[in-house]
Amino acid sequence: MAKSTGTASREIMSGFKLNWMNLRDADSGKVLWQGTEDLSLPGVEHEARVPKKILRCRAVSREINFSSEEQMNRFRLEQRVLFKDKCLEEWFFEFGFVIPQSTNTWQSLIEAAPESEMLPASVLNGNVVIETKFFDDAMLVSTSRVRIYYV
Amino acid sequence: MKKQSNKDLRILLLGLDNAGKTTILKKLASEDINHITPTQGFNIKTVQSSGFRLNVWDIGGQRKIRPYWRNYFENTDVLIYVIDSADRKRFDETGEQLGDLLDEDKLAGIPVLVFANKQDLLSAASASEIAENLNLHKIRDRKWQIQACSATTGEGISVCNKINPVNRILLMSIDWRFTSCCVYGGKNVGQLIIRESMICISEYSYLGLDLIS
Repeated sequence: MAKSTGTASREIMSGFKLNWMNLRDADSGKVLWQGTEDLSLPGVEHEARVPKKILRCRAVSREINFSSEEQMNRFRLEQRVLFKDKCLEEWFFEFGFVIPQSTNTWQSLIEAAPESEMLPASVLNGNVVIETKFFDDAMLVSTSRVRIYYV
Repeated sequence: MKKQSNKDLRILLLGLDNAGKTTILKKLASEDINHITPTQGFNIKTVQSSGFRLNVWDIGGQRKIRPYWRNYFENTDVLIYVIDSADRKRFDETGEQLGDLLDEDKLAGIPVLVFANKQDLLSAASASEIAENLNLHKIRDRKWQIQACSATTGEGISVCNKINPVNRILLMSIDWRFTSCCVYGGKNVGQLIIRESMICISEYSYLGLDLIS
């Protein structure tokens, strides 16, 4: 992993905050889970208790909201959905420019797998982790891990 | 002008502050529009279906943010410009901003859809009045269209399987980017559908074939 010791990179990292994250039923727009703790605290795995019915949604949206004090020129994220550490789904998204002192959201809409391919809640429960890594070019700015429980 | 993927569409939503850009974006997704605050950066919605990806970029419209708009022009397929139809005092300002956008090299030839928003307000100017005010009929270098709407009531951005203005703008962008793809009118009209909750694209197989060619 590329590491920079420059002051600029340190400022980018310290000025970055992941404010909240949520999961919605994309058809109704209804929020099924929202986490407002600081999800970017390093080394902490967060927990989300999500109603089981999310598995029956035709499409689910994941939304993240973040702030940056500093300008970034090539901001991007890598998001992975892991089942027992195996990657089920992978998203790469490039934002490019980030305005200094800005607050921004990114929402991605995911269509559900066909029901026949869907694992039951009891199997998924506690075994699914959404991992989001933020980079400015090659520099890792922040990581967030949220473990999903179906209740 | 090469894209990472043939199947990525980028839609840029711009306009003055308080024009209703974020409300439109949220309304299209059936989300709560009661707690919208001025956008201090960007809001992006990404919709992916069968490998086709649509990204809508809503950038804040406050004066201090506008100088940053240019950082988001690259690779745009469609520009949606939102106007507060009741904010008559700022028609000149919004007209100038739109004029500046249309002069940008990176947006040259990009189709533009103008939303004349807030039609639910009594003092709102009509779409034709705004078109005249902004000299839209003088636009010759691109496809353009104006649509009266109200993001709060959903009128004008309402969603159906027919060819509404948002569908048409998507068709424009596809036509513009892939000249071999001719999907206007007739039996293929239903190929691009705005679902009630989200912009999404159906009958991918047909589109997929044409989009890659």
